[in-house]
Amino acid sequence: MQRSQLAHVWARAISSTAYVPLSPAEIEAYLYELLELLPTAPETVAERMVAIRLTGPDSLRRTIEVLAPEYEQSVIATLSSQYAFAMRLDAFDQQEQIKVALMASKRRVERVLKVSEARFREVFTSSALGIAITDFAGVCVEANDTLAEIVGHGSLIGRSLFDFFHPADAERLGAAYRRVRNGVVDRFREQRKLIRADGEPVWVYLAGSLLHDADGVPTHHVTMIEDISELYLLQKNLDHQLLHDSLTGLPNRQHFVTQLEKLHGQGPITLYHLDLDAFSVVNNGLGHAAGDTLLRSVAQRLHAVASAQNAVLARIGGGEFGIVCFANEVPEMVSLIQEELTEPTYVDGHGLALSVSIGVVDRPPGSSSVSELLRAANSALRQAQQRGMRQWALYDPHEDAVRRGQAALAAALPGAVESGELSVDYSAVLDLPSREVIGLAARLRWGDLGHAQTLALAEETGISLPIGQWLLHESCAQAAQWLSALGERAPMLHVALSPLQSRDEDLVAHVKRTLDETGLPASQLRVALDIGSVLAGDDNVHVLADNGIGTGVDGFHGGYHELALLSELPVRAVVVRAAVAAEGTVLHAAMGDVVAAVHRLGVRVVADGVGSDGDADWWTSVGADAVHGLMPALSAAEMTEYLAN
Amino acid sequence: MTLSWVPEGVDTGLPSAARLYDYLLGGGHNFAADRALAEKFLKAQPNGRTIARLNRAFLRRAVLFLMDQGIRQFLDLGSGIPTVGNVHEIAQKADPEARVVYVDFEDVAVAHSRLILEGDERATIIQEDMTDPAAVLAAAQRSGLIDFSQPVGVLTVGVFHFVAPEKDPASIVAAYRDAVVPGSHLAFSQFTQDLQPEEMAGVVEVMKKSMNPMFPRTKQEITALFDGFEITEPGIVPLPLWRPDSENDDDPDKAGIYAAVGRKL
Repeated sequence: MQRSQLAHVWARAISSTAYVPLSPAEIEAYLYELLELLPTAPETVAERMVAIRLTGPDSLRRTIEVLAPEYEQSVIATLSSQYAFAMRLDAFDQQEQIKVALMASKRRVERVLKVSEARFREVFTSSALGIAITDFAGVCVEANDTLAEIVGHGSLIGRSLFDFFHPADAERLGAAYRRVRNGVVDRFREQRKLIRADGEPVWVYLAGSLLHDADGVPTHHVTMIEDISELYLLQKNLDHQLLHDSLTGLPNRQHFVTQLEKLHGQGPITLYHLDLDAFSVVNNGLGHAAGDTLLRSVAQRLHAVASAQNAVLARIGGGEFGIVCFANEVPEMVSLIQEELTEPTYVDGHGLALSVSIGVVDRPPGSSSVSELLRAANSALRQAQQRGMRQWALYDPHEDAVRRGQAALAAALPGAVESGELSVDYSAVLDLPSREVIGLAARLRWGDLGHAQTLALAEETGISLPIGQWLLHESCAQAAQWLSALGERAPMLHVALSPLQSRDEDLVAHVKRTLDETGLPASQLRVALDIGSVLAGDDNVHVLADNGIGTGVDGFHGGYHELALLSELPVRAVVVRAAVAAEGTVLHAAMGDVVAAVHRLGVRVVADGVGSDGDADWWTSVGADAVHGLMPALSAAEMTEYLAN
Repeated sequence: MTLSWVPEGVDTGLPSAARLYDYLLGGGHNFAADRALAEKFLKAQPNGRTIARLNRAFLRRAVLFLMDQGIRQFLDLGSGIPTVGNVHEIAQKADPEARVVYVDFEDVAVAHSRLILEGDERATIIQEDMTDPAAVLAAAQRSGLIDFSQPVGVLTVGVFHFVAPEKDPASIVAAYRDAVVPGSHLAFSQFTQDLQPEEMAGVVEVMKKSMNPMFPRTKQEITALFDGFEITEPGIVPLPLWRPDSENDDDPDKAGIYAAVGRKL
């Protein structure tokens, strides 16, 4: 057979016995070359066959089948034995290669392990957390120094971690570890107390989880422990600070409210609201340091009383204390408190006898809220304080309602002024004995409230000055209208000023400006000043008179000082308010004497608040010049109509 | 099992598909456990060695076909143990500038590949799981060997039958498809139950107990994986029918594996 033909047959025979990464033509060409070498170098041919991986199970057999008929037996024998040898060497080479690969991969794995082990060690040793790896009996297989420090014990290896659990926690923690081990939970985290080797407690956050081996079988528990004692104590301290008064160490108002709520829900209670009498006097007179000493001393003494009574005591304000207990005998409790405080307290060498005013809410209905209780106690305290020092009062719902109504009105008054709810009424001033209208007094009205009540509220809220000025302006403007409509028949305008207004430094300027603005002549206006302000030495009366404005004094009682004052002042009239007394009595005669005395000073007498004809007659009999109040007050429109007739 | 030359600590007791393949191809990079598995494999599919050879031959033809299409960079997914006729050898023989990134996850295969590729600046191996395309593509990018603005030859030759349906094979192929530019190619081969179903079932049974269970696919299922690709001639065919170099006696019905190449549209 020709060599090229032989190469072709050989290629066909072996191509399916092994994979050779060459095209069929390339394979044939390669084999052609081998055939050339075969007679002289069969060893080389065998090595080249192995080199291109003609190494399938049937590769040699097929080769011999093709080549044996064409070549000497010795050539085929050498080829075969060298092929086997080369295969062996090749197998060794490949095994060597894969061994190197295995080594490389193992080294890599080891390096990775080493790095991760090093990382773990670093974390383990330098962690601020205590870390323990324990067997399932709790015995430490590994534990870091941090943990040893936390529990105050040398080496923990071989010791049971459970030994350091607080006995009360041991069972629950044991259960938590079991739940982790059984796969119920992945990990647990709890705040617990450990007991150090020296017996001291340590508060910790404790987290437990499970370690598995390479096959995923659980082998150990790992426990991380964070010492939070400082945090815990700080938190406790903070809680205490939030609920206690730092000066006296007593519970504060917030704490008291909580306690009150708790007790109130459990049965009938008695609530005491104490306020140290004259505490501000001590504070202002002796200084705040003395005040603080005093408060501490009072707190101590009240504490003694409260403890004995099983009551809750708290400081609920500057000099205010609250006591709440299950309902007890109020008078006894009050005297216990006062007795305890009677013993003088020495502050800076001053022996201070103390007392408190006490508001009491006894056995309030269960339905009342805590804030209602506190308000009621405060209200009772104000009642007690109105009676003087060292007083106590039981909460009186009725009285409270009145006070609350007034307080609410006073609070609403400024808004009412703004929204124009106030109006001016006019009441006639009648001549005696003719009972002719000689003047009209301007009176405030706010809904159902008359002049005196409105003014009292205004004084309370501090807006009497602007209200008084408003009244003056309104009435002057109205009087100017009546003057232009009625001419000489127009009555004189009487305006009584509030105490604040009477003392106002700008009063005269204001009155003059009002007259200018309204066009009312000064001669048509009579202004009555509060006698208290006049007595205090205010010279508004003089200046008004200098400006041609007639003045009177309101609230005249007929005392010596007042009479003395009248002799010095350019006053035209005094306004007197007094209850009538039967004719022939001393009082009747005395009033007659007072009126006569005033008349001798050239001053007229006007009686205010005269409610009946009889009273008017009485005033006539004592010689008064005019009365006011006999006719009902009318609105401007009504009065206009009345005057027209 | 003790083999004196095997480094201590390496578990050679678990057979691997990569070493089984090596053994079927006549290689020596395998252990007794791999050979034992191979014998069982051959009992179920007596044509195993031929299938391995045909699959390896398809890889060669496919790489050369892709070179003809102008592709000069390859991403060989699940490359396994380097053996005769590796992709970089085939490609670089045709054009020394061709670049190859091998991807495998198995420690020994990766270590062996590193040894083989030492000193070749145009080929490298990255150790990633081919079923995690994001990780593979990121590592391929980092290797600097693949220019994703140019067409890439993605090779999944004889590996997709190891991808379980739960891994959503379609989404894996799609991820690689979306990462490459149009004109890129996918060379694909995998076992099918369309050919010799009895033998195939036997192989599946044998491989069930190995680290690499097998999931053969029908032609229809494989067609679906080529979504977004135009399958080139002659389509999805048994190994020896895919663009053979010459006439041969290989029986397509006993080739066990379907092969195909698709072009990204």
